[in-house]
Amino acid sequence: MHPDRMWRSAEPRKSYDVIVVGAGGHGLATAYYLAKNHGITDVAVLDRGWLAGGNMARNTTIIRSNYLWDESAGIYEHALKLWEGLEEDLGYPLLFSQRGVLNLAHSLQDVRDGVRRVEANRVNGVDAEWLAPEQVKEVCPIVDVSPGVRYPVLGATYQPRAGIAKHDNVAWALARAASDLGVDLIEHCQVTGVEVTDGRATAVTTTRGRITANKIALSAAGHTSVVAKTAGLDLPLQTHPLQALVSELLEPIHPTVVMSNAVHVYVSQAHKGELVMGAGIDAANSYRRRGAFHIIESQMAAALELFPVFARAHVLRTWAGIVDVSPDASPIIGLTPVENLYLNCGWGTGGFKATPGIGWCYAHTIAHDTPHPLTAPFTLTRFTTGALVDEHGAAAVAH
Amino acid sequence: MKYDLIVIGAGPAGMAAAGTAARGGLRVALVDSAAQLGGQFHRQPPPELGGGNVRDDPTHERLGRDQSIEQAIQAPAPRRDFLRLRDRLTGVDLHLGCRVWAVEPSFAVHHDGGTLTGERLLIATGAHDRVVPFPGWDLPGVMTAGGAQALLKGNLVVAGRRIAVAGTGPFLLPVAAGLAAAGARVVGVFEAARQMGALARYPAKLAEGAGYAATLARYRVPYHRGQAVVAAHGADELAKVTVAKIDDGWRAIRTREIECDALAVGYGFVPQLDLPVQLGCATTRDSDGSAIVAVDDQMRTSITGVHAAGETTGVGGAELAELDGIIAGHSITGTPLPDGVRRRRERARAFARLLHEVFPVRDGWRDRLRADTIVCRCEEVPYQAICDAQALGAVDTRSLKLLARPGMGWCQGRMCGYAVARLAGEDPPPPRRPIAQPISLQNLAAYPLRSTNDDA
Repeated sequence: MHPDRMWRSAEPRKSYDVIVVGAGGHGLATAYYLAKNHGITDVAVLDRGWLAGGNMARNTTIIRSNYLWDESAGIYEHALKLWEGLEEDLGYPLLFSQRGVLNLAHSLQDVRDGVRRVEANRVNGVDAEWLAPEQVKEVCPIVDVSPGVRYPVLGATYQPRAGIAKHDNVAWALARAASDLGVDLIEHCQVTGVEVTDGRATAVTTTRGRITANKIALSAAGHTSVVAKTAGLDLPLQTHPLQALVSELLEPIHPTVVMSNAVHVYVSQAHKGELVMGAGIDAANSYRRRGAFHIIESQMAAALELFPVFARAHVLRTWAGIVDVSPDASPIIGLTPVENLYLNCGWGTGGFKATPGIGWCYAHTIAHDTPHPLTAPFTLTRFTTGALVDEHGAAAVAH
Repeated sequence: MKYDLIVIGAGPAGMAAAGTAARGGLRVALVDSAAQLGGQFHRQPPPELGGGNVRDDPTHERLGRDQSIEQAIQAPAPRRDFLRLRDRLTGVDLHLGCRVWAVEPSFAVHHDGGTLTGERLLIATGAHDRVVPFPGWDLPGVMTAGGAQALLKGNLVVAGRRIAVAGTGPFLLPVAAGLAAAGARVVGVFEAARQMGALARYPAKLAEGAGYAATLARYRVPYHRGQAVVAAHGADELAKVTVAKIDDGWRAIRTREIECDALAVGYGFVPQLDLPVQLGCATTRDSDGSAIVAVDDQMRTSITGVHAAGETTGVGGAELAELDGIIAGHSITGTPLPDGVRRRRERARAFARLLHEVFPVRDGWRDRLRADTIVCRCEEVPYQAICDAQALGAVDTRSLKLLARPGMGWCQGRMCGYAVARLAGEDPPPPRRPIAQPISLQNLAAYPLRSTNDDA
């Protein structure tokens, strides 16, 4: 399944055209599209740990594009279209499986929001259906849709083209492709500061020495605000742990992906057979890659009402990723008050699904020093102008 | 209600510590995953199998003898030790059959039936068998030495009719003796180590060994030094093993085949550190390279309020574990240590270090791996996949795990962890398991729900 070699392991050079901070999915995709779409190959992707060991290794791999607002639908649908051709483009199996995603409604308000979102999605060319409880049961027979439970299923939005992919494979494929095009991937190289001279970012200091660059692009999820602070930028981000857990291997039983905003839980069955379940964020701010047990305890209690069949499945592991949550639950992408310093952050709980889309648009932004049209609405300045993109409803996990 | 002390693990260390602390006036809870006290060394059968009445057990018929298994396997001295430890537990709250899956600071002990809280914690979770893979080790009929002994002691089940016992370490002796006494035909004990003269410095231990040797002699069980089982064979289950004479590096020199229907194989033990690592206790290395909890001479860990005792602080057997427990118990209650305990412990600890020297695990076992030999049973990862990952640049245990998935399955690396680490050229890192025991979702969800925004 693996090719002969994955990627070159590079030593940091003294200078690059572009430095990308963070070798997660977004950083790798950005480097790949910088090289592929814009011919910019003098690029280093730096990571404090190992490649794709942050949220890329910790997310629940759900891919969908059924967001409410035009701005969000634009970027996520662009990403989904790229996902649909990505295996071929990268020449690597990504186990991309369009098995559909259900977002359950448990209250009349949920129903109204869901129906509205389905209409909005259709207007934007995003496939979306509203399902009644008995139709939910048809798509996913193991969901309990009986009316007497604590969280009765009153319906669901359904996006058939949505699904999951194998996160490791995605990272490896992007890394390999970027490396083949000449990008340097440098692990265990922590950026400790961004040097700014006359309002212009010129270099990064790292645990492996100082590296100068014409352009510096941040893409470090929950740690972006920490790095940005060294350049004098105070970002409107809150960093939280987001927990997930995985069960023992089970026979194929769960045909789709089920999410519930009210219950704060989302469940899919990975290709090997384990259940992958995600929780809502831990309320406390933290950079610790472990969350509090009471969060998953209460969420599993609710999840088992939806899926009584999972009661006796065993949990093997839990973990947490460090997510960066913005005030309107939408990402922050683009230019900054510091020249040559670019931002891609604030993805909160939902960055994985955007991986190829944001790589594409962020690379464009960096190459042209101008926001890509699809990411133009997601400026940092929107928090002062008030032009928010409020996706709390469609983010699926309460922020 | 908050306990003064929660002891996790009811083996010799935990029982001794709990008894000592209770006699010092503390309110003590003793928790164990087994339904009976005793841990691995003093494992007891459940009452419904007890009383020596095993006539309805199908294995009894197979034994063809009148003696009950329980009587046959109960050596008098350990039995007395167990009863002494048990009788000291007066006033201790027993929480048996409770699998602890997580501990949280100051201190919540989560088990599959609920949560206990305590001011202090003593971790005495023991060790599990150290496993090295070889061709055929995943056949039905091949089990760890500890597994065979647990079946025998805890369930009064003899693992087979013709049993080979192999590996390294003094633990093979009681396993073979127990199986032989219970009526199995033990076709041989194949001990990898060869030079054991140094053990003569400990006459008491030598006498204990001689007792087992006498049992083996009585049942005509041959004891071979410098030999190892290098492969297991069988279509659907174990039919025979290949035994090899091995050199000092454990490379096979000459081989022969022996028919058997069970193989109990053990290469020492891996200390069980899941809970202390969860709490952030500092770890160190034992003289055999195993990760262990770092403790001071009072058995205190680096985390205030947390003691550790027994095999988690270094594998050394039941006597050392009990002495650890006594020291920890007195440290916790602030009562003076009885005369001689510390001296006896130092001697037992020195003997444990000597055992590591005399019964090392050499990397020569790696030569026996074939491309299709399973290294990780849970994820069915063959040796070839490990080699492929190494060829792709995986130079450490973590990268191997990421690329080839050994240790990601049901046992979370307890079985293959040692082997994978050694294949990567490392000593096994301390385990990081946020969930120390597989817990069902319903048990996880069963906790009283905290009020959340949903309820508002």
